[in-house]
Amino acid sequence: MKTKVAIIASNGGLFDAYKVFNIATAAAATDAEVAIFFTFEGLNLIHKQAFQQLPMPVGKEHYVEGFQSANVPAIPELAEMAKEMGVKMIACQMTMDVMHIPKEQLINGIDVGGAVTFLDFSKDANTTLTF
Amino acid sequence: MNVLVNKMIDAKGLACPMPIVKTKKAIEEIQPGQVLEVQATDKGSVADIQGWAKNTGHQYLGTVEENGVFRHYLRKADPHEVKEETKYPHTITNEELQTRIENGNDLVILDVREPAEYAFGHIPSAISISMGELDSRLSELKPTDEIYVICRTGNRSDLACQLLDEKGFKNVKNVLPGMTQWMGSIEKIQ
Repeated sequence: MKTKVAIIASNGGLFDAYKVFNIATAAAATDAEVAIFFTFEGLNLIHKQAFQQLPMPVGKEHYVEGFQSANVPAIPELAEMAKEMGVKMIACQMTMDVMHIPKEQLINGIDVGGAVTFLDFSKDANTTLTF
Repeated sequence: MNVLVNKMIDAKGLACPMPIVKTKKAIEEIQPGQVLEVQATDKGSVADIQGWAKNTGHQYLGTVEENGVFRHYLRKADPHEVKEETKYPHTITNEELQTRIENGNDLVILDVREPAEYAFGHIPSAISISMGELDSRLSELKPTDEIYVICRTGNRSDLACQLLDEKGFKNVKNVLPGMTQWMGSIEKIQ
């Protein structure tokens, strides 16, 4: 049976985005079945505008250069790659309602669901991560 | 070290997880049994490629580093390889072969794995002719010689023995279980 990796993305900074998408794409490339539940500020990671320029943590802006020299792909590229490799992305309905984010503002090809949608996937996951 | 491969991909200058993502895509484009070379500069890729192979079931052959560039070699898994039954009747164990080598006998050992597998470790006197090439390179072997045929797990060598038998080589032995459990000396191509 396939390895299952369940990820909760609940923060919206650039570092958070890399943690989530790097683990997700690496797992998918290693034949794992991956689902990410985007909730609260984590929704920024799949927000058409917001994910273009996610903030660095305060005081860590000098890492911009490091990201460039390490030739790290941009977040929209990683998100697209994750989607292509079959990573299931679930946006949290409740936080979308609270934060007034309609589905149209989020990238295409994602699902919208509630906590149980994620729990149903994660109940027999081999790895569950929260970022 | 020059290794013959079926496909090469360039992931140089790319950071994690890109070398792995590209490896995954490339392995889907080759046939089971074929060999993929992944070139990367990401130092993390050395451990990552091995972990990837372990989890996907593909065979990690080895890595060569040259001027900061890592060349990783992988062989796409063949689901049939594990299941196929050995049919060629004349076999010899790894241990028996090792004893004969250590006794100084001059033996013809034929390694029918892919050149990349051979490159990362083979019995010192073994000749490398991959299973796929065997038919066209039979003239390099003498039908009267006693030939010990070896591969990774004994399946390709079994097929090779059958082919040689058909072609009139009557003194051929399949070495079992093969290189995965070889305890004798090993030579690598530098």
